[in-house]
Parts: sequence; C-alpha cells; structure tokens
Amino acid sequence: MKAAPFAYVRPGTVADVVAELSQEGSKVIAGGQSLVPVLAMRLGRPAQLIDINAVRDLNGLALDRGALRVGATVRQRRMQREQIAAGVPLVRLALPWVGHREVRSRGTVCGSIAHADPSAELPAVAACLEATMVLTSQRGTRQVSAADFFTGALSTVAEPDELLSDVVFPVAKPGEGFGFGEFARRHGDFALAGVAVRVRTSEGSVDARLTCFGVSDVPVTVDVSQQLRAALEKTGSDPSRPDLQSALAAHTPGVAAVAVNTGGDSHASPGYRRRLISVLAAREVSRAYVSARLSESEERSR
Amino acid sequence: MNLPQPHARTEADQAVDVNLTVNGTEVALSLPARVTLSDALRDHLGLTGTHVGCEHGICGMCTVLVDGDAARACLLFAVQLDGAEITTVEGLGWPDELHPLQESFGRHHGLQCGFCTPGFLMSSYDLLTHEPEVQRDDLSTELSGVLCRCTGYRNIIDAVDDVAQAHRGALPGPGNCGQRTLVGRTSATTPAAVAAESDVEEEPTERPEEIELPAGAPTIHIDVTSQLASGPDEVAHVFGDIRLLARCLPGAELTDELGADWYRGRARIALGPMRMAFTGIAHIEEQTADRIVMRAQGKDTGGGAQARIVMSATAVEGGGTALRAEASVFLTGRIAGFGRSLAGDVSRRMFEEFARAVDRAAAGEEEPTAGTRPPGAISLLVATILDRVRAFVRRLTTRGAHRR
Ligand SMILES: Cc1cc2nc3c(=O)[nH]c(=O)nc-3n(C[C@H](O)[C@H](O)[C@H](O)COP(=O)(O)OP(=O)(O)OC[C@H]3O[C@@H](n4cnc5c(N)ncnc54)[C@H](O)[C@@H]3O)c2cc1C
Ligand code: FES
Ligand code: FES
Repeated sequence: MKAAPFAYVRPGTVADVVAELSQEGSKVIAGGQSLVPVLAMRLGRPAQLIDINAVRDLNGLALDRGALRVGATVRQRRMQREQIAAGVPLVRLALPWVGHREVRSRGTVCGSIAHADPSAELPAVAACLEATMVLTSQRGTRQVSAADFFTGALSTVAEPDELLSDVVFPVAKPGEGFGFGEFARRHGDFALAGVAVRVRTSEGSVDARLTCFGVSDVPVTVDVSQQLRAALEKTGSDPSRPDLQSALAAHTPGVAAVAVNTGGDSHASPGYRRRLISVLAAREVSRAYVSARLSESEERSR
Repeated sequence: MNLPQPHARTEADQAVDVNLTVNGTEVALSLPARVTLSDALRDHLGLTGTHVGCEHGICGMCTVLVDGDAARACLLFAVQLDGAEITTVEGLGWPDELHPLQESFGRHHGLQCGFCTPGFLMSSYDLLTHEPEVQRDDLSTELSGVLCRCTGYRNIIDAVDDVAQAHRGALPGPGNCGQRTLVGRTSATTPAAVAAESDVEEEPTERPEEIELPAGAPTIHIDVTSQLASGPDEVAHVFGDIRLLARCLPGAELTDELGADWYRGRARIALGPMRMAFTGIAHIEEQTADRIVMRAQGKDTGGGAQARIVMSATAVEGGGTALRAEASVFLTGRIAGFGRSLAGDVSRRMFEEFARAVDRAAAGEEEPTAGTRPPGAISLLVATILDRVRAFVRRLTTRGAHRR
C-alpha cells in the first residue's frame, strides 16, 4: 500500500503550475484525499505530482459580484468555518456529509469537483446552483457551467493540462431556500443516493431545482417546479413542512424514475435507489420551500 | 494560514527536504516524495504511537493533528507538509500526567486492544477543541472517522462525552510537547533523518556549545543511594579522575577527550535479544571532591538518550560513604517504547553496579569493571525481574493483610 515513486514539484504561481501540467504524465495534488488512495493502491501511477498548495493566488475565498469564488486550495473545513461561505447555504448544508472531519481538514472543494465522483456531494451542489468552473491552462482561461462540466464517472471536460483554478458559486438571494439530504450505510461513506435542492419563491411564483447524485454517472438535475406547484395547490401556499412533504410524495416517485439511471451495484439496486430519491426529494424540496418562504417574508419585513 | 514554500522539481529517485514541527520539536527530514506522513513519523522519527491500519484513508488509525486539525497521516505525503505543525498521540500527555482524554479512555474502558486508541484520541481532541458544545447524540457521527474492532464504541463515546462535559471550551492542550531528539530506524539509510539536534552525528568532529535537554518531564528519573565501604577521601580520588570514573560505568568506554571537560564515548547495553550501542558526548559541568554534575547525550539506531546526572558523596557516620546518583533520562525512538518502567529498573541496576565499581576503584583496584564489556545482560535482567517478583509478592501479602 505504498505509492510508486513519482517526481514532485511545488510551484509558487499559477503560471508555473500550468507549465508543469503541460508535461506528459502530470497530475495535480490538492488535498490528496482521493488521489493518495488511488496511488497507494497503484491504481494510478502519474510520473509527476504538482502540489498546488504553495500557490497563494489559489487560496482565495472571496465574494465577487454576487458570487463566492472558491480557490483551488480552499479546504472543505475552511469552507465550513469561514463566515463568508455562509452566503452559499447549500454548500454548508452539504459539507458535513463529505467524508469525515479528518478528511475535510485536507480535502478541497475544487478537488472534489475536479475528481467528479458520481456519489460525491459537491459536484451535485455545483450542478444544482449552476456554479461556474474556471479552467486555466497555458492556452488561457475558460469558464464552463456546471451543467456542461461533468461528462461521466470521474470525468469532466477539463483537459489533462487544465487546472480547475476556481469554482464560482452564486450567493443566495432573498426568497431562495435550500435542502440537502443523502442516505449512506455509515456516516462518511459515499452516498447510495442523495439530493440537493434549490427553491425560489417570489410573489406567488415558485421554481424548484432538484439535483440527484449516486444514481447515475453524473449529477442529474431535474426541474421539479411543476410538482411543487401541484403539491402547493393541495396544501395552500403556507403549509407546514410535514404536510407539504406528504403532498409532494405523490409526485416524487415519477421524478425518481427519471433521475435514477444507474444499473445498480452490490450496495443498492436501482429500485432501492429510486425509493431513496423519492423520499429524500419530498423531504428536501419541502424543507427548501419552507425556508424560501421564510427568507422572502424576512426580506419583506425589512 | 501559513502556506508551504515553493519547491523545485525533484526526480522520482531523489529525496525532498521538508521541515516540520512534531510535538514541539523541529525536525528536518529528507525523504522520497512518496513517503507518507505516517511512515515518516513511524520510521524516520521513531514515533510509533501513530498507528497504521488500511493505509488508504478508511480506518482512521493514523489520525494526527496538522496545524491543529485532525487529518489522516496515511493520506498525506510528508513533503507536502513543509512548515506544518504536527501533533501525535505522543505529544498529548505522558504516563505520569495523562491528558484528560487519555485518562477518561482508561477510566471508561474505552479500549481493549488499543490499536485504534491513538486515532480516537487525536480525533476527539480535534472535535472537542473545535466544537466544544458538541452533544452526546452527535458523538457517534462526529467520531465516525475512526473505526474500532473491539469496544463496540459505547465506552469510547462515554469517555469523550465525559471530557466534553468536564471541559466545555477549555480542553487542556497537548501536555507533552517540547524539544526532543527523534530518531527512527530508517535514519541510517535516509540522509539527515535526524532532529534539530543533529549535533549528535555518528562521530561528531566538533562539540556543541552545550547539551540541551528536552523540555518537559524526563522519560525516567532515577535517584539511587548506595552505601560504599570506602571513605569519602578515597571516593574523592575516584571523583577526581574522570577516566577511572568512566571505567566504573558498566558498558561505558571513553574514546576521546575533547578538552574543556568534554568527552566522547561509547556505551553498550545488552538486554535479552536487544543490543544497543550508544555513541555520544558528555560534558562535566561541575567536579569537586564530593559532587559531579554532568550532561550526556548519545544515540543508537534504536533511538536516542539525553541525560543530566548528579553524583554526590557524603560521609556516613561510623565509616563509609553514601553515593547518591540522580539522573533525568530522556529517551526517544524505539528504546523509549521498550517500556518506561523496565528502562527505569535497568538504569537503576546500572547505577548500583556503578556504585560497587566506584567502591572497588576507591579501594585501589586496578580494573573496577571490565570497561568495555556490556553489562551482563542476564545478570541485569535477572536482578530486575527478581526485584519485580519481590515487589509483587510484597503487594500480594500486604493486600492479604488488609483483608484480614
Ligand atoms: C474515508 C474517505 C471518505 C470520503 N468520503 C467522501 C464523501 O462521502 N463524499 C465525497 O464527496 N468525497 C469523499 N471523500 C473524498 C474527499 O472528499 C476528497 O477530499 C475529494 O474528493 C478530493 O479533494 P482533494 O482536494 O483531496 O483532491 P485530490 O485527492 O488532491 O485530487 C483528486 C483528483 O482531482 C484532481 N484535482 C484536484 N484538484 C484539482 C484542480 N484544482 N484542478 C485540476 N485537477 C484537480 C487530482 O489530480 C486528482 O485526480 C472521501 C475520502 C476519504 C478518504
Ligand atoms: S491507516 Fe490511515 S486511515 Fe487507515
Ligand atoms: S480497542 Fe481494539 S480496535 Fe479499538
């Protein structure tokens, strides 16, 4: 269980990182929480690791025109701690589910998204919030929306010589509410199935976005505005959370049937995953709606 | 937050330099980039308290603190941690003054085989320092990063909950950090795998300004007084002759006089299957007719030792001399793990042998001990074990007496 030998470099600037990345056989190491196990099991043998942790410009966590810009070396635990990150509540709801404290101490937000595990929480959050990925290489910088970023299990549109230098999350606005939930055999394990939800309410109109993970090779986003509206017709516009959840439960099995397209594995069959998504979706969409209404009324009373 | 310094590309077959602070000791290592922090701690620094189970991030046995946050040492390459502060279970407390968490694990029987305990201690230390208000119901989730095969977790949760309630927001810090000499078993093959006090090379050409003792409590403290038949004047004669005195030390050999009361020497100890050969230096700080104060440090492939020794002779009424030896010995590396109490017993035995040799030397014997012969392994061990058996029997009989 020891990694094979590799060359090691720890550049101090983004320019040096991308210059090194253009070399054949190079891999970025950020937190190492996904990469080191791969190396230890000799599932991967990169010729060179580029440690990006000395690059000051990649360590930024800052608000930038209504968005939170998260640099490539920002660790998950820092994101849980710093007040500035509270502007993106869905990330904060999801982070406690990412592995364990000990893993989040080192693992980065961008590393998780670059790694693109189909069961990972943060790629789903990025997809649900329509975050923007900033890719940097010697050829320049390009921005890719989360919807286009994930192409398959552990695969993204990032080229081997591209660095995910930042992920930009939109900051929550008044009238937005969020929900997040997952089911795993043990806390900290990758989820069998999970959901991230954003609901927007404004003067009677509602829209709801549900992103499911662990159920396909990429996060699957479904617009569930129609289902939410149908449920609200039954309950009225100010339901309690349990009432709304019951009303939604009539609609979520249909959503789950569309979202779950994995063939299943030894951990859970597709049928079981559909039931999990159905229950989680009803629970978290109702939670998101109730908190969206609360945020809307707080805004109005201001 | 401190970022590491940039580092130039290093080829796969070359070593990378890395500076760390481990339990308060600054260490400079040079190792291949693929060496994990857990291997660096265990093999290069002799800190085997950090256990290794799965080596791919699942079990949490290897949990240590990196800049105050718990992390899995098997998922970090040591070279990535340039400038970082590492705290391992060795830094948390020491046997005579356990950290409240260590004490609580013992009291609640939060361990059986103990393999997971360092991981749980470091993980729960991190939890209680960063989330002091954590509630009992959340502990099973919060501690899910470490696995235990024995206890069923309940006693572990009891132990952590107890400390959480007793120290809300004011958990004592690690109690055993300070400057130490750290020596691992790979140090011979890896260049510069030595601690800050790398003055102690195999054969130091220069002597240091002074021998600095680690902060904190010594591994063993010895205070033995032996009755000598010789009178104070005869003992003063031995105290005045360092070469003669050195010959009285079992297994010791003075190899070089460096001037200004500095000496270089060797000490060999054989115990059962163990053979240790320390090379090092000693400095006599005070030398009078009835008192000698010295500091010594040495290292062996199995670890390092530093000591301050005070020997004093006082006349005993009715003839003879009382020779008192006090020593604070700091052990590191594998020898430290060899059992604090046994090491203490063995050292005490050595001082008693030393006292007898001083007595013989004072009486004018030419060869007080066979200078370079390692102290009889068997006799030392047998004497130590006999002592133990006697103490045990004593305990049994006094307990019996209480019951009656
Ligand atoms: C026990 C355990 C449990 C875990 N449980 C979960 C879980 O429940 N959910 C979850 O989501 N994750 C989980 N993880 C993984 C963890 O979240 C990782 O931290 C994360 O997936 C990767 O982040 P990292 O910074 O450690 O990336 P690294 O391991 O350093 O890198 C991962 C991959 O991404 C690439 N990469 C990293 N950063 C960049 C970048 N900026 N640009 C381009 N490429 C980059 C690397 O080259 C590598 O291929 C778990 C890990 C462990 C060990
Ligand atoms: S040895 Fe590090 S997590 Fe198992
Ligand atoms: S006490 Fe044996 S593994 Fe926990």
